[in-house]
Amino acid sequence: MTYNLYTPFLEATRNVFMLMLDLSDFSDCPDTALDNDGELDISIGVTGDLTGEVIYRFPRDTSLNIVKIMSGMEIDAVDEFVTSAISEIANIISGNVLTELAKDDLNCDILPPVLKESSDKKTSYCIKTSAGNVCIDVRLNRAE
Amino acid sequence: MLWKDRYELGVPLIDSQHKELFKRVDAFLQTLRESSSWDEKLQRVNETLDFMNGYVVEHFHAEEAYQKNIGYPGFAAHKKIHDDMVSYVLHVTSEFKEKGFDEQLIQQLGGKLLAWLINHVAAEDQRISAYAKNAGGRNS
Repeated sequence: MTYNLYTPFLEATRNVFMLMLDLSDFSDCPDTALDNDGELDISIGVTGDLTGEVIYRFPRDTSLNIVKIMSGMEIDAVDEFVTSAISEIANIISGNVLTELAKDDLNCDILPPVLKESSDKKTSYCIKTSAGNVCIDVRLNRAE
Repeated sequence: MLWKDRYELGVPLIDSQHKELFKRVDAFLQTLRESSSWDEKLQRVNETLDFMNGYVVEHFHAEEAYQKNIGYPGFAAHKKIHDDMVSYVLHVTSEFKEKGFDEQLIQQLGGKLLAWLINHVAAEDQRISAYAKNAGGRNS
């Protein structure tokens, strides 16, 4: 179940990056390529037909590059402003995925983004972009 | 925060309001991120919150009226997105005053506004335009 769910999350991430950031070159990359220093881990809780969470891992440079692209301003630290902007992007991606899943009769809601201090790394799928890498860890199961 | 031509819906009133929103939010972000003291920024932050609480509601109403006019099928879902954002801004404004003008809270608002507005105009609102063009809606 979880493995198949990576496809809509990766697809939605690419779409959001295209529309919001004008990024167009995407490739897969191993999660070992992720620079963990200053990484932002944003968790989006999911309830409904699927339950669990999706964790988006944004390395420091990716976070700063994304906010720079959106704001046009030089940003040099991952602070409240950057964390909030990146959290909203994770929220947007997740919302888009849920809209797609609803077409397959999987009806879910998302919870507000939560910054995870640290998380044990499980399987992640990563996308390489010109703004940096981003990894997604889908931890969802069917509700009983 | 740059306005891009591809954001235009082809509806003059809505497009001009979107441009104004980008301009105001950009000025707000510039204020938030500049190196002056928080006391110096506070007046402009308060002005922006007043603006957001007024102009954003006005814009959302105009956009919703246009959607109704063209029979946009995603009206209810789009209105919910608007209502949620208005509630969020009202909540932050209220909390900001109760907490004694906390800077951290406003930095969070700035970050969310930045991403939310770009996505809303670049993605959500484009669906209205696509419907109007494909379904023969009236772009007026």
